[in-house]
Amino acid sequence: MASIELRSVSKIYDNGARAVHNVSLEIADGEFMIFLGPSGCGKSTTLRMIAGLETISSGDLLIDGARVNDVDPARRDIAIVFQNYALYPHMSVRDNMAFGLKLRTVPAQEIARRIDEIAEMLDVTHLLDRRPSQLSGGQRQRVALGRALVREPRAFLLDEPLSNLDAKLRAVMRTELIKLHRRLRTTMIHVTHDQVEAMTMGQRICIMRDGEIVQVGAPLDVYRDPADTFVASFLATPPMNLVPARLERRQDGLRLRAPGFEIAVPDSFGSAYASHMEMEVILGIRPEDLHEREADAGPNAQPIPVSIETIESLGPETILTTKTAGGSDLSARVADRSRASVGAGQTLHFDARHLHLFDKETTKLLPREHIL
Amino acid sequence: MGAVAARSAIEREDRRFGWMLMMPGIALLAAVIGFPVIWALNTSLFDYTLIMPGYDNFVGADNYARAFNDGEFIHAAKVTFFFVVAVVLIEFAIGFLVALMLNDTQRGKNIYYLILLCPLLMNPVVVGLIWRMFLHPTLGIVNYLLSTVSLGPVNWLGDAGIAFWTVVMVDIWHQVSFMIVLLLAGLSALPKEPYEAARVDGASALQSFWHITLPLMRPVIVVTLLIRVIFAIKTYDIIYIMTRGGPGVATDLVSYFIYRRAFVGLDLGEACAMAGILLVTVIAITAYLHRSMRAL
Repeated sequence: MASIELRSVSKIYDNGARAVHNVSLEIADGEFMIFLGPSGCGKSTTLRMIAGLETISSGDLLIDGARVNDVDPARRDIAIVFQNYALYPHMSVRDNMAFGLKLRTVPAQEIARRIDEIAEMLDVTHLLDRRPSQLSGGQRQRVALGRALVREPRAFLLDEPLSNLDAKLRAVMRTELIKLHRRLRTTMIHVTHDQVEAMTMGQRICIMRDGEIVQVGAPLDVYRDPADTFVASFLATPPMNLVPARLERRQDGLRLRAPGFEIAVPDSFGSAYASHMEMEVILGIRPEDLHEREADAGPNAQPIPVSIETIESLGPETILTTKTAGGSDLSARVADRSRASVGAGQTLHFDARHLHLFDKETTKLLPREHIL
Repeated sequence: MGAVAARSAIEREDRRFGWMLMMPGIALLAAVIGFPVIWALNTSLFDYTLIMPGYDNFVGADNYARAFNDGEFIHAAKVTFFFVVAVVLIEFAIGFLVALMLNDTQRGKNIYYLILLCPLLMNPVVVGLIWRMFLHPTLGIVNYLLSTVSLGPVNWLGDAGIAFWTVVMVDIWHQVSFMIVLLLAGLSALPKEPYEAARVDGASALQSFWHITLPLMRPVIVVTLLIRVIFAIKTYDIIYIMTRGGPGVATDLVSYFIYRRAFVGLDLGEACAMAGILLVTVIAITAYLHRSMRAL
């Protein structure tokens, strides 16, 4: 097991392209860390630098406190599971799993013991003599995982290993990986662009954009307090509604004036938002904080008149896409028994205790206390 | 029922159209390959000489028996065997090495490619003539260069012990780029991921080559070797231009020997029998390699 630390790590390719910029991050021993971000945000490159498959242009990479920038991947004692599995096509499953151990001159008996143990754990014992081409996607994924596991490395790096699986298998493997981590307690870094994986699997999420870290934190903390509008709109489906608004102080208290509706801001938020009084801000509303019934929206319920544009019934819940009178789009996640009909006008009720405000210029969150 | 009938009618129509498209090609192949092969095999069963051409004297397998008992033919077969083994192995070793180096080259790849392809684009007769001049014992540039470092002169094509290796060397010069091109195509088509996995697994460059490159390249290697073996067995032009099988019979490859038996010895029947033996040998090698390739 190992702790991993990145200190101002950057990656600039020979053609001048900047893939990762000044990334600093500490991953504790035994932690399950998620790298989340859109394609091309540098998350895979960061992972590959940790594995030693990419050189580090500047900064330091430390494993268990020792600088390993120039250490060969083989000597870092880290295993990586690739997105397309990267199994050796000409070797049987058993040989695929044994390859790394043979190179490390582990005794044959010990190799056989470890393979049998891991194969049983991953339920691939009956596949040991097959070749990768004879396996399904899910089986290949298990073998790739098994190949990493038999080495008993200090840390596991998982580069979008679930992205090639179908939805059902992905859900199964997600649970398997969580269980595996709980069992092994080995440091794991999981790269993904899937926010469901990010929210459910890791102890912490590191969200990246354009080669930089935007926010690091526990999944629910990041969800509750997104650092900026990028994180707010990236995490969760449908994403947080972002509406331009103006923060005003009136006689009856603080008001947020948005095109087509107004919201009374709870008094307790006053001190937190004092610096942005009478200024343009961005109002963030999570779809689940919009309700059809006023009673569901709590004591600070704020009415927002909208017209319904589409209704997506997902079974347990319904997603409404709506437009306010001012032309802003608002998505709402409501109960399945919605009374909404397309084209009709309706009033949604916003639980103002859960409002988020972002600075219009920097797009950063204006932090405040939570009301439960 | 009607649908099935209609479908089979469409299939019949398709098949007829397919045959129509293939007919010109098949007719051409039959004319330039099928007919000569059958004619030669037929001739090999008769005592057919160019002095008395005719199919009056049927001798059955006599020509084949005579060929197998012919010391000169056996010698030519042995020389050909050593020639094929030497050129194919050396070309493969050089070709693979250069292909590996070119595969890792980023800049100027096309220029290297062009230079390497030049010999392959030349006519074998031209190659033979160029090298005969280069290797001329008194006027050739090779011996001149050797003399500048106080070596030689070497009788490249006149010495029975050296001539064989000279021909081997010229054939390698001419044909090695064929190996390079084919092997390089194979190398550049290999997936990158297993190499990264192997690096993390702890494989050195040599171990990666041994455990990943070689096994993954096996089908390409087999095909490349197969094609080169077939072409090497048929080598004729370079021998004709450079040594005429000599000195003595030191470079008497089987193709050239058969040519001599037919057009110098004028014994067409026996030459055809020898050609038949050569054809069967090549087909056997092809079938063997093809089968072992399918098993990969």
